[in-house]
Amino acid sequence: MSDEAKILDRGYRSYEGHRSGVGGAIRSVAWHSMRTVLGVGRPARHKIFPAVSVIIAYLPALVFVGIAALLPVDLVGEEALPSYADYVGFIGIAIVLFCGLVAPEVLVRDRRDGMLGLYLSTPLQRDTYLVAKVAAVMTTLMIVTLGPPLLLLIAYTFEGSGPGGVGDWLVLFVRIVASGVAISAVFAAVSLAASSLTDRRAFASVGVILVLLGSSAVASALVEAAEMSTNVRLFDLLAMPFELVQRIYGETGDFPEIETTLVAGANIGWALFGTAVVWFRYRRLAVSR
Amino acid sequence: MQGVTVITVRGLTMQFGAQRALDNLDIAIPPGVTGLVGANGAGKTTLMSIVLGLREATSGTVEVLGMDPKLLGSRIRARVGYAPERNVLPEDMKAVDFVKHLSEVRGLPRDEARNRASDSLWLVGLGEERFRAIGTMSTGQRQRVKLAQAIAADPKLVLLDEPTDGLDPMQRDQMLALIRQINDEFGIDVLLSSHLLEEVERVCDHVVALDAGQLVADGPLADLIGGNEGVELELVEIADRPRSIDDVADALAASGLDVERDGAVLTVVGPDTDVLADATRDAVAEHGARIRRLSSRKRTLEDLFMEQP
Repeated sequence: MSDEAKILDRGYRSYEGHRSGVGGAIRSVAWHSMRTVLGVGRPARHKIFPAVSVIIAYLPALVFVGIAALLPVDLVGEEALPSYADYVGFIGIAIVLFCGLVAPEVLVRDRRDGMLGLYLSTPLQRDTYLVAKVAAVMTTLMIVTLGPPLLLLIAYTFEGSGPGGVGDWLVLFVRIVASGVAISAVFAAVSLAASSLTDRRAFASVGVILVLLGSSAVASALVEAAEMSTNVRLFDLLAMPFELVQRIYGETGDFPEIETTLVAGANIGWALFGTAVVWFRYRRLAVSR
Repeated sequence: MQGVTVITVRGLTMQFGAQRALDNLDIAIPPGVTGLVGANGAGKTTLMSIVLGLREATSGTVEVLGMDPKLLGSRIRARVGYAPERNVLPEDMKAVDFVKHLSEVRGLPRDEARNRASDSLWLVGLGEERFRAIGTMSTGQRQRVKLAQAIAADPKLVLLDEPTDGLDPMQRDQMLALIRQINDEFGIDVLLSSHLLEEVERVCDHVVALDAGQLVADGPLADLIGGNEGVELELVEIADRPRSIDDVADALAASGLDVERDGAVLTVVGPDTDVLADATRDAVAEHGARIRRLSSRKRTLEDLFMEQP
């Protein structure tokens, strides 16, 4: 035993050190919620669904990077590789599935098992609790909305097939980040709103997916079958975030007849509406213990 | 209301529609272990919810650790631990991860939270079990996990809502001993909500009793249940002493003891057991009555409730 070796008398004792306050509580709950959704520290069955969603989101990016690395561009043609804007649409199904998983897991679970009351007995209040949960849902969604295009950008850059100069690279980087944040914000707000209305995770998951797919089906039917104004598409909760992504990348999108300002306004409106639903719901929620 | 208090409540009223859950309460809870007693629906959980800031009272003021929850709620809750009655434990989480997480939420740095989670679980007797998923634990172990998370962030005050719920007698004894220990050894004040009067008598220094939202009693346990000892005597008159029971009662009363008579049963209350025993022996011997039954009688919290109109 060296001279410096000591036997420490551990055990329960008082703590006089720094306490992180509300900021630390928000960080901790957000981090814990993300880990929970991704199945970290939980049995294997909880890891399957997030892993499948992440694989669906990242696998095409890896394939495209592989194609770009292994085959000459003049052999496969530039059109064989999707644009960054198209890629987000390409993995839309993974994003929707992930939406159906994330918000219900993050929000419903706490109400169902009573953890909400325990959290509200800490420095967190309802508002700050929701800030933590929104941060968790948005950050988790960005794993599939922001991660794959960033991976493409980095991989293409290393392969020499990325943007031409530093300026173009930075513009593309900002577009990738902006579109990832935008799509995550809208889907987070909508899925949190749906999840705030039920105490059953399965119902919430189905509800999130039904709201997204249902609004899209109804808007399409009204525009195409009932020949209503194209602006009815603004109520298409599934298509509008992807349309906004197209516009952020400077492309015309699937609905060029709708002005970009309207597309942006609709997305901001849906994000605010979803947030307001959650906020009102939690203000009125009775939490006694 | 004088002296140091950990919770002070003045004119507190909580109204749910037409129902008044708490009715103009004035309570001063001093340091130590305080029992909040009352039947289900008495208003215990509502009072705890208001103290924690989970509910806002209809009227009145509350002060916790000298601070107003409306103004400094987050600061108060960082120093208050809470173990709810309801099972709020995530089944698939390890006990140590759960306690660590809530310690971080209460403001501890990550490393400190990890160390204190282990220390707290060792303290409540779950050191060896701390890496087990909570879903695999028994009811007694889960109650201990709830206690561990309540104390892990070194609170000044812990609120424990029915912490012995679902425990067998041995587990209940151990839990009550732990509650006493966290006050005696670590100076953490405890507000213990329970509908089991006997366990409150065993572990608490101070009692707040509620009934249908009204304050029945608030004071040191010793004052509420009294220092006087008592015996219950059932006597039999013998043929040649037809008034012997009356004579025994008169003799005991003349000795300065409180005597109540109900037929052949005398309830005698005195300052201590020795005085009581000597006076009873002498009176019975002198007046010739026979003792059919003799049992000790101590005033309890149950008596306190039974005496309410």
